[in-house]
Amino acid sequence: MRVLVVGMNHRTAPLEVRERFAVADPAPHLAKLVACEEIDEALLLSTCNRVEVVALTRHLEAARHRLRAFFHRDLAGETPVQGAASLENLLFEYLDGPAMRQVFRVAASLDSMVVGEPQILGQMKDAYRAAVECGACGAILSRLFQCAFAAAKRVRRETRIGERPVSVARVAVDLAKQIFESFDDKTALLVGAGEMIETALEALRGEGLRSILVANRTQAHAEALAQRFGATARGLGELREMLPHADIVLTCTAGETPILGVADFAEAIRARHGRPLFVIDIGVPRNVDPGVNRLDSVYLYDIDDLAGVAAANADERRRETMLGEGIVLEEQQRFDGWLLALQAVPTIRHLRARAEAIRQAELQRALQRLSLGENERQAVESLTRSIVNKLLHAPVSRLRAEAEREEGLAYLEAARVLFALDDPEMPGAEAAEPAALDDLLRGALPDSEDSEGT
Amino acid sequence: MIVVLHQLTAALYLAAGLLAGVGLALARPTLSRAAVAVLVAGAALHGVAFVAFHLAAEPPPLTDLPASVSLMAWLGVLFYLSLLVRSRLTALVVGVAPMAFLGAFFAALRLPHSEHEPFVGAASSWPHAHVLLASGGLASLAIAFLAGVVFLAEDRRLKAKRPMSGRLRLPSLEALDRVNAVALVVGFPLLTLGVLTGMMWVEGTSGHFWTGAAHETWSMVAWAVYGVLVAARFPAHQGARQAAIAAVAGFAFLLFAVIGVGLLT
Repeated sequence: MRVLVVGMNHRTAPLEVRERFAVADPAPHLAKLVACEEIDEALLLSTCNRVEVVALTRHLEAARHRLRAFFHRDLAGETPVQGAASLENLLFEYLDGPAMRQVFRVAASLDSMVVGEPQILGQMKDAYRAAVECGACGAILSRLFQCAFAAAKRVRRETRIGERPVSVARVAVDLAKQIFESFDDKTALLVGAGEMIETALEALRGEGLRSILVANRTQAHAEALAQRFGATARGLGELREMLPHADIVLTCTAGETPILGVADFAEAIRARHGRPLFVIDIGVPRNVDPGVNRLDSVYLYDIDDLAGVAAANADERRRETMLGEGIVLEEQQRFDGWLLALQAVPTIRHLRARAEAIRQAELQRALQRLSLGENERQAVESLTRSIVNKLLHAPVSRLRAEAEREEGLAYLEAARVLFALDDPEMPGAEAAEPAALDDLLRGALPDSEDSEGT
Repeated sequence: MIVVLHQLTAALYLAAGLLAGVGLALARPTLSRAAVAVLVAGAALHGVAFVAFHLAAEPPPLTDLPASVSLMAWLGVLFYLSLLVRSRLTALVVGVAPMAFLGAFFAALRLPHSEHEPFVGAASSWPHAHVLLASGGLASLAIAFLAGVVFLAEDRRLKAKRPMSGRLRLPSLEALDRVNAVALVVGFPLLTLGVLTGMMWVEGTSGHFWTGAAHETWSMVAWAVYGVLVAARFPAHQGARQAAIAAVAGFAFLLFAVIGVGLLT
């Protein structure tokens, strides 16, 4: 049984390709995939940063071709991406250990574009749910994903990977939270326009800003922005009158000299009776005189300050990544052990069948020679079953335990040789038939026959 | 019994302080919440100690310095816990618990240790009213002092572009400033009433409202200083940073005037 991951992500494929391959509803695709003989189980994860298929197969080469064909034909659609060879370069493939590791790392957000972002775990759970609902995800992939989710939770709990904001917008919000207790009574003043400043304003608005004022050199631009943010538009000439009403000022406007100086803020702070003012200046050259930061109750951060905090936070996250990788490795080894233990199932099943066949044969022979009543027959039956179970308990338990390690295969081989399990002439040989996956999993679970007692 | 209760209370306050300190250092909010829970347990035990006080001597001997310091620590914890209900001030436990520990520990060391050393209670009710009101005022102003210290540290960090990051945060500047204002609003009237009841106490024992003792003079000066601070804070709309500096300096002076002068003379 092999685990195979084929896909593309933010490192291997540009956004315009990833968005073409994005899948809104994975169910029909998964149904088609698991309908093929070469794929036993499958799960499709599609986010803005990745499209990946995780598959379980007993026919590796065929599955490999099938998954690549899935990307080339089913997802690429009518217009292939710059030829088949080009798409081939954008796909990555992981097998067995690395494949499982990939699943664990993605869940723990160690493979994300912004390491530590929390959304990926929810997206992965949605993908898992979709795969289970359409019957594409069976016992082994279920176990793999459950282990990956548990590992992700551990990484989040035991490291600080998701604690520090790493985008300029989130850093601005984080700083604002250190100054203000709540935002529902706060007003933001946006001076100028620009993608970064608008992202920061959006993030602050998400925290519940009460009102937004917009000032722009061009009245039309001001009104357009005001409409977008549900704000009030004013001309740049009214900036000084607006300043005392703003708790957060965001500036990003073109100009060689600062448009707001120390005197403007000193007056605003007087009018605000010393209430704090948070100023985010993303303009280059700067729109606000840096001396403003020396005023009491004014906290000025320019683009370099914000980027500096974001970079320091990103460094901190990277340091935490090492801890996260350790946790992932530990959890992956636990899953590996479980998967390896499945290999012991056919041998154990065969061993039990052999013992049971011998017990039945010897019991029938003995019963023919003895004339026993019903109660005595049941007692003898119970006695023989108990002897067999007790004899098998230790080797079966040891085989299961050893099978969780790579070296355990030698024990399985030894058991097959010692008990002549591969000899078709011996009793119980019919149990050597290849077992279905579900039968294997049932066999992997401890049952009463395994117990030492009767 | 009372001493043992104070020892146990001090141990709980110390444990709360240590938990809060470790929680802040490791940025673990669960440890800070645990510290608050331990502080609540300490406050409950502290309350039991005052019930025991009442049973040992009626009226309880609050005019004793160790007892009044203990009362101040207890009221400070209760004031903080009441603020905690409305604001996100969990991390402030890192300052409240050690202050409460010092108060309870001082009382545990200085209170009479055996039944043969009776508590000296005051006959009149003015001394008790004075200690109760003045301790309440001091406790509130101690919380203002603590909020001021944290505010100044946070303000410095933010101005130096070294903001805090992580799951556990100190309270926001706005919340700290609000604590400062509320503590002043509660603390100054209590302090004023404490001064007035103190004068009534002096009048009851000496026949004069004012005897000119160093303790009385310094306490009046401290009260006047706080009067100026309140005037600067509210009618004059003093800024948050100046208010924090005033709260720190004012409380240091008040502590010297009320306790320091008493110990020195």
